[in-house]
Amino acid sequence: MTTSEKVYPTEIIDHRWLSKKTFEIKLHRPAAFNFKPGQLISLKYKNDDRDYSLASSPDESELRLCIRYVKEGLLSRALGDAVTGTGLTFCGPHGYFTFKPSARVPIWVATGTGIAPFRSMACSGMAAAYLLHGVDTSSELYYAEELQPAAGNYIPCLSQSGQSPTAFNGRVTDYLQKQLPPGNYDFYLCGRREMIRDVTMLVDDQFEGSFIYTETFY
Amino acid sequence: MARGAWQAAGNRKDKTMKIYTGTGDRGKTSLFSGERVTKTNDRIEAYGDLDELNSIIGALIASLPVDRVDLIGELQQIQSDIFIIGAWLATTANSPAIDALEEIKDTQINFLEKAIDRLDNQLPNLKNFILPGGHSSAAWAHVARSVCRRTERHAVRVLKESDTDASTPELEKALIYLNRLSDYLFVMARECNRLHGLSDITWKKS
Repeated sequence: MTTSEKVYPTEIIDHRWLSKKTFEIKLHRPAAFNFKPGQLISLKYKNDDRDYSLASSPDESELRLCIRYVKEGLLSRALGDAVTGTGLTFCGPHGYFTFKPSARVPIWVATGTGIAPFRSMACSGMAAAYLLHGVDTSSELYYAEELQPAAGNYIPCLSQSGQSPTAFNGRVTDYLQKQLPPGNYDFYLCGRREMIRDVTMLVDDQFEGSFIYTETFY
Repeated sequence: MARGAWQAAGNRKDKTMKIYTGTGDRGKTSLFSGERVTKTNDRIEAYGDLDELNSIIGALIASLPVDRVDLIGELQQIQSDIFIIGAWLATTANSPAIDALEEIKDTQINFLEKAIDRLDNQLPNLKNFILPGGHSSAAWAHVARSVCRRTERHAVRVLKESDTDASTPELEKALIYLNRLSDYLFVMARECNRLHGLSDITWKKS
């Protein structure tokens, strides 16, 4: 028995480039649509659909998506080139990557646009002890100003070294390996699968007894 | 999603996405509730059996006549219910992840009981043990039934080893569901033979 999922019509009400590689779109939020910070929607435009984590908090009146422009990615390219007023549809919310408070210390780890669910959580009043954002260059730290006050210790990690005196020069895995004291943590990982694999193995080796929640991007 | 909804897998859909993450390459995996456990953990064994059972039910469905949409729909409903049970097996006691789980409802158990009664009413009374087999669809149903029993045994182990905790009432319901599902698969096996004009193969003393 299958049930058809509700499809919401929406449109792009704002479109701005956060960096050379990443843009943000704001979508009209249907009145009946609600979600939990960390969840995602399945966005459909013409014949292509893709899942995107919501970067906005449920308290915001619009839905906000943070998308990396991928030349060969059909939807990402179409949305990157789309203009205000473009109509789309979406289903959701989906996913289980929500904040689960516990007695352990929460650590949020993102690479690239994997920051989206953490922006949603931080703007909803949730906080981690550390929020690591791994990107290539400091120009990709698009939500730094909002996240610095909201998310405990916001640690930008730049994989191309020697760029910023205020950021950690190295990958998120390097930071965790070198800087995080031993302990039991709740790790929330969102981003590229290579990061998720590397951090998971590090947790197995160095932070045994910790919990891991993941949301994998391509 | 072949990995099962209860696994901590990603939700992304993209042509550039690869299905493997490599996080399980060293014999550990993550429960839905976030713990890293070895792949021989009781919960992994139990939901692994459930995954196997669901796949076998898929084979059973594929072996049924395509016009039996009633039976196919019933079995697909069971496949969906199995996902819910799997999520409970993959979530430890008192985890906040429990909030995301779907309740196992009495109506799901009643659904099986009604189906068992309906199928049984149209079958001849059994006077002997029967041998698993007959039509290929009946053989699949028997394989499903025996894997369901193994799943149940592993689920009992999870239940008995979990402390007094929030997931216990749901796991108790899961056990009832699995116990009933085995009986359903038994009558389904007999129904599959009847559908194809075959009699059950009775056990004979040597």
